[in-house]
Amino acid sequence: MLNGVLAGLLTLLPPGLQSKPAPPSSPTRVTQQAPASDVEFRWRDHPQIRSGRLFRLDFLAKFQWDARHPGDDPPDFDDFEIHRARIGIEGEFFNRVQFAIERELTEREVENPNPDVNEKSAWKDVYVDANISDAVQVRAGKFKIPFGLEQLTGISNLDFVYRSLSASYLAPARDIGVALHGRFFDRGLNYWAGWFRHDGDNARSSTMDGAGDTLAVRVTGTPFRSVRGLSKTEISGAFTVSALDNESASPNGLRGRTVMSQFVFYQPVFVKGLRQRYEVDGDWSAGPVGARAEYTHVLDSREGQGLADQDLSDARGRGWYFSGTWVMTGEEKERPVEPKRRFGAVEAVARYERLWFDSAGGEGPLLRNPRANNMLPSGEHVLSLGLNWYITRWVKLQFQTIREEPQDPERTPVAPGEAFWSPVFRFQVGI
Amino acid sequence: MSRWRHLLHLALAVLLFVAASSRAQTQVVLDPTAEFFDGSVLHELRLWINTRDWETLKTNFLSNDYYPADLKWNATTTPNIGIRSRGNGSRSGFKPGLRVDIDHYASGQRFLGLKSFVLRNNTQDPSQMHEWLSMLFFRRMGLPASREAFARLFVNDQYAGLYTIVESVDKSFLTRQFGEDSGYLFDYEYPAAAAPYYFEDRGRNPASYVPLPFKPETNENNSRPEVIADMVQAINASSSAVFRSAVAEFIDLGQFIRHVATEVFLADQDGIVGEWGMNNFFMYRPQFSNLFRLIVWDKSQAFVMGQAYPIWHNITDVPDANRNRLMNRALEYPDLRALYLDTLLEAGRAASEVPVATLPGDTRGWLEREIDRAYALIAPSVLADTLKPYTNDEFVASVEALRVFARERTPFVNADVAASR
Repeated sequence: MLNGVLAGLLTLLPPGLQSKPAPPSSPTRVTQQAPASDVEFRWRDHPQIRSGRLFRLDFLAKFQWDARHPGDDPPDFDDFEIHRARIGIEGEFFNRVQFAIERELTEREVENPNPDVNEKSAWKDVYVDANISDAVQVRAGKFKIPFGLEQLTGISNLDFVYRSLSASYLAPARDIGVALHGRFFDRGLNYWAGWFRHDGDNARSSTMDGAGDTLAVRVTGTPFRSVRGLSKTEISGAFTVSALDNESASPNGLRGRTVMSQFVFYQPVFVKGLRQRYEVDGDWSAGPVGARAEYTHVLDSREGQGLADQDLSDARGRGWYFSGTWVMTGEEKERPVEPKRRFGAVEAVARYERLWFDSAGGEGPLLRNPRANNMLPSGEHVLSLGLNWYITRWVKLQFQTIREEPQDPERTPVAPGEAFWSPVFRFQVGI
Repeated sequence: MSRWRHLLHLALAVLLFVAASSRAQTQVVLDPTAEFFDGSVLHELRLWINTRDWETLKTNFLSNDYYPADLKWNATTTPNIGIRSRGNGSRSGFKPGLRVDIDHYASGQRFLGLKSFVLRNNTQDPSQMHEWLSMLFFRRMGLPASREAFARLFVNDQYAGLYTIVESVDKSFLTRQFGEDSGYLFDYEYPAAAAPYYFEDRGRNPASYVPLPFKPETNENNSRPEVIADMVQAINASSSAVFRSAVAEFIDLGQFIRHVATEVFLADQDGIVGEWGMNNFFMYRPQFSNLFRLIVWDKSQAFVMGQAYPIWHNITDVPDANRNRLMNRALEYPDLRALYLDTLLEAGRAASEVPVATLPGDTRGWLEREIDRAYALIAPSVLADTLKPYTNDEFVASVEALRVFARERTPFVNADVAASR
């Protein structure tokens, strides 16, 4: 077992520094073989204990350290932080039941002074998945609501230091629920359909309760698998419907914040009724290049939320992004990229995005107050440019600069009409 | 010739009329708020606010959270304003005091040129007049004070009680009062739980004074707090030989003495020389001067100590530690002591002065007449106000106590002054 551990740790080093190159067919896979019935330690993608097909236990750890400086110079901002420190286990029993438990050690939003408001939990994935057949699987517990390509991409595998704004503020993220999912046509079509207790961590804060019962459906297809150059194209669509009650004393709509400094350029508004989210996305890669695009549309009803208790037009949040990546050292575009050179792999990334909020079809003067029928739009355009250096499959350095241009001159952290640049460096280890 | 002279006179008359008219119009244009703060009128203000917000504001009356509302006064409707609960001891979940911020949701929005005003609930004053009368009296004494007027407030078309409209001490006020607004305004805000402060020396560190108890209200990002630290040093550390000149650099001593004397005349227990240290004032200095002037605020506790409130109370009848350092040292100078006594006499004359054009036998002085006038103006609205935290009998009795104060305060003060000479 000790040999297995040492062999596994060696894989964290750049390929050129390892004493013996991994086999070409499976460069970092099985490091030790044992009889199927014995308990053995392995290092596949993670340290692993398994006993043939009886059970498997993977140990996970994710660590991200950031050095950054937001261009809008917020007061009391810490330029250095441990952004993530997560540990977890994943496993499988009898080749039928999978489970995952993951906990964040640096969660910043769990200390909530208001006990009536749902807290963000430091527990991330905590679920059990029963694999009845390829087409029918059931997952229960806390996990990501199936919505949004970028939001469903794990934190270790993001092309950019920060998720897109629409993934961070419009997509729901994790919640407690149960989902039916499966795949058809040799993974050519995947589906998820689930019920969740609320509508995810992204809709909650110390002052926002978020929505209640949530139904979510997502379908993913690879319709061009037989078309050369498009074989790795994945197209998805998703929607959620959530109940918004009127129990929250403070505005319970969604919010918009800047990328790094988290300046709130759009405060939540009062909402009641239904929250509807719609999303379409595409993910393509061919050789060393890849591209992603996503559009998200959220409508919040505002029943009885006017100054005279009248219904207001729906509050609307919209976001889109387009991103492109190029592994300049020639490796296949994967998440993560597996370096094949002595110094690792280097990838150039760029993303342009927009997130904005307004009301859908409201009449009357354009106003900023949280009960305006016709809400003055507020949002921002963001350009992200960067380089990712995959030293190994598990160790990554990211250098990125982000240009943000807020839309509303009165809801901006900088002078009206100005844009600002924010550099960030991230060191990441993920096993 | 005579015909030409008539024509000339006619032309001059027309010219003068036009000039006078345009001047009158100019005055109206220059002060669009005069009608809003006209204290001789009982105003009607209407707010429209989401029912849930109004209930939340009342439930969370200790919170400063803002809620959107529409405001209507006379024919003027101003949408998209922000209101919040306000006050210290007067905060109420039944009849909340309100801060009305016209520009909370739109920075450029104004109401008659105002960025904000206050709706006082007067929950600590059964007469409802302490604040209004005090401000009127301060202005009568030539001291800077907010303009105020009474208003019936309707929230979502339901009567919410009688309130006092109070002019905010802000840039609009500074411009009206001092002709400019680019200087440094500080609100003296002392936490209720903190030990009383008497201008004693807390050292040279500006952070010992700003933002508490002196909270910057203008130039917040560069409030020059060191000037306040220097002022406190001058008050406490300068020798008797240089005290006058050292302090005169920072504070208008004459205005300070007159301010304190006026508060004392009004038997205010919560002012500069109040029962709990200093309280309820702003300080303002122009941009290119270190000379602060005081601006009075919140006089709900005026009159409550009664007409026999001694003129040296909290000045000389308390231990040294509880004496206001500035007042204490200023009164060592005979001319400033004389100014204090003279101002008290002047306040007495201002309060008891009987107008020339008055009915025979009507000996009511100015203060009593104002009380009677206000009572006639507001009594029906107060009596109909079911949200006030006192009975109608208490209201009537409290107004009667004010009348007694108006009659008896001047003789008492005059006697106290005479005994002090």
